[in-house]
Amino acid sequence: MTANGWFQIFLYLVVIFVVTKPMGIFMTRVFNREKTFLDPALRPIEKFLYRLTGIDQKREMRWTEYTIAVLLFSGVSMTLLYLIERTQKWLPLNPQKLPNVEPGLAWGTAASFTTNTNWQSYVPETTMSYLTQMVGLAYHNFVSAAVGIVLAIVVIRGIARRETEELGNFWVDTTRCLLWILLPVCLVGSLVLVSQGIIQNFKPYTTVELLEPQTVQVTGADGKTSTQQVAQQVIAQGPVASQVAIKEFGTNGGGFFNANSAHPFENPTPLANFIELVLIFAIPSGLTYTLGRMTGSQRHGWAVWGAMAFLFLAGVTATYWAEARGNPLLTGTNQHASASQAGGNMEGKEVRFGIASSALFAVVTTDASCGAVNSMHDSYTPLGGMVPLINIMLGEVVFGGVGAGLYGIFVFVVLAVFIAGLMVGRTPEYLGKKIESYDVKMAMLAVLILTFTILGFSALAVIKPFGTAGISNSGPHGLSQILYAYVSSTGNNGSAFAGINANTLWYNSSTGIAQLLGRFFMIIPIMAIAGNLAKKKTVPESAGTFPVTGPLFATLLVSTIVIVGALTFFPALSLGPILEHLLMAAGKVF
Amino acid sequence: MLDLIFIGATALFVIGAVFYVRACEKLRGAKL
Repeated sequence: MTANGWFQIFLYLVVIFVVTKPMGIFMTRVFNREKTFLDPALRPIEKFLYRLTGIDQKREMRWTEYTIAVLLFSGVSMTLLYLIERTQKWLPLNPQKLPNVEPGLAWGTAASFTTNTNWQSYVPETTMSYLTQMVGLAYHNFVSAAVGIVLAIVVIRGIARRETEELGNFWVDTTRCLLWILLPVCLVGSLVLVSQGIIQNFKPYTTVELLEPQTVQVTGADGKTSTQQVAQQVIAQGPVASQVAIKEFGTNGGGFFNANSAHPFENPTPLANFIELVLIFAIPSGLTYTLGRMTGSQRHGWAVWGAMAFLFLAGVTATYWAEARGNPLLTGTNQHASASQAGGNMEGKEVRFGIASSALFAVVTTDASCGAVNSMHDSYTPLGGMVPLINIMLGEVVFGGVGAGLYGIFVFVVLAVFIAGLMVGRTPEYLGKKIESYDVKMAMLAVLILTFTILGFSALAVIKPFGTAGISNSGPHGLSQILYAYVSSTGNNGSAFAGINANTLWYNSSTGIAQLLGRFFMIIPIMAIAGNLAKKKTVPESAGTFPVTGPLFATLLVSTIVIVGALTFFPALSLGPILEHLLMAAGKVF
Repeated sequence: MLDLIFIGATALFVIGAVFYVRACEKLRGAKL
C-alpha cells in the first residue's frame, strides 16, 4: 500500500462527502415539486408529457397502486427490450449486421437491464447492434435507475408523512427524476467523459494492420492445435459516451464493451476513472441527505451516511491490503509497489489505474449495485475478491444502488430499531413512528427473499452438470464463481467473476429469475412498510425512545447489517474464498 | 416457441408479483 493510493481513496471519500448535501437538496426539491433552476426549461416538457399521456399530476397513489404501476411499467419495458433484441437484424443502426440475439440470452439480458442489474453473459460489441445498445439498453439504464430512486423517495415519504395513504404518483416521480436529475447530469457527464477520450460515433468497426504481427497457437473444435499468423485487428466502436455516464450515474454497470470500464474507450484516463467513481456514489450518497431533509431529521441522514462510510472504508481497506500484498506463492516476483517497481500486484488490473484505483473501483461498484468494473474481480486474491462478494451479500446498502441502497438500508434500520426496542423493553420507534410486528415481518420477507434466491440457485448450480459446466476453475474458486453469479444477479449488481461462462440456457434463465426476484420481491414488502408507516400517527419522543441520530445508532445499524449478512452467508464464504485463501497459504491454487 | 415461453414467463412473473402485493396488503391486520 502506498501513500498515493491512500490519498486517492480519501480524496474520493471527501468528494463524495462534498457532493452529498447539494445532491440531497436538489433531489428533495425535485420530488417535493419545489422550484429549481431547471424549471424554465423542463416544466413545459413535463407538462407536455402529462398532457400527451393523460397523467393527472395532482393525483397521488396508495402503496399498492404505486407498486403495481412499477410492476406493469417494468414488465412492458422488459418485453419491449426482449423484442428489440430478437429483431435487431431487421432494424436500423446495425452496421456490423449482427444477427438477432438468441431467445435465452435476450430474455436474460432484458431481465438484467430492467432490474438495474446489467449482468452481461455476452460480448456486447459482437452481440448487440447500436440500436439495441441505445434504444434498448441505454433506455433501461435511465428508467431502471429512475424506478429505484422514486421507490426510495416513496419510502422516505412513508416515514415523513402521517395519517395518509398517499405516497406520490409513480408517473410524475419517474418523469421528474428522468428530466431533472438523470438526463441533465448525464448530458454534462457524457461531454466531460468525451473530453477524456471516450468515443461517440455510429461508425462500422475499423480493421487495422498490426505494427507487429503475432503468431498464436489456436486450439480448434476438434481439439487439434494449429499455428496462426495474426496481422489485423478489428477495433470496435460506437455510441459509447452516452451510455457510460448513465452506466455509472444510474449504478447500472452494463458496459458498451465486454471489458467494461477496463476498456480504454470506456475509461481512458485516471481522471475519467475518478469521475466515473464519483458518478456511482453521487445519488446514493445524496439520498441520505434527502432522507434527513424530508423527514426533518438531518442528523438521522448523516448517521446513516456515517454507517455507510464506515462500511465503505472497511471494505476498501481490506481489498487494497489484500491486493497490494499479492499472491505469496509468486516467490521471486516483486509484487509490492515501490519507486523501482511502480506496478506491484497487477494481476487482473489495468496499468493506467494500478492497485489502489482498481481496489477502490471494485469496492465502490459492489457497495453500490453498479457492477461496472475496471479490473477483473476473478483475478483478485481470494480475500481481495471476497470483499466485493460480501458487499453485495450485505444487500448493497453501503451507499448502494440508486434508491436501492436507501430502501435496502431502510430494512436494516427497521430491524436495528426493533432490536434496540427489545433491548430497552419499549415499543420500537423510528422518527416518531411505532415499528410494529407487521413492519418487522415485511422487513424479514425482504431479507429472506435475497437469501433463498442466492443460496437456493447456487446450491442447485453446484450439484448439477448444467451449473458446473460454466465454471473455469475447480475447487473453492469454482464455487466462488457460481456464488458470485447468483449474489450479483439477486443483488442486481451485475459484476462477475468473469471466469464463469454464463451464456447458457440455464444461467441466462436462472440469473434472470434471480434478478427479477431480487428486485421486485424485495421491493414489494418494503413498499408495504412504507404504506404502513405513512398511515400511522407520530408519537412524541420519550425517555424510552432510541435515538436514531448519533454514533450509537450508526454502530447498531452497522452491527445489524454485519450480523445478518454473516449469519446468512458465512458458511458459503467459508467453502469459497476463505477456504481458497487457506489453501493458497498451504501452497495449493486452483 | 421459445419467444412465447419467455414472454409468457415475463407476464406470469408480473401477475405473480401483483398477487404478492395483494398478499402483503392482506397481511396487515392479520394475526400471524
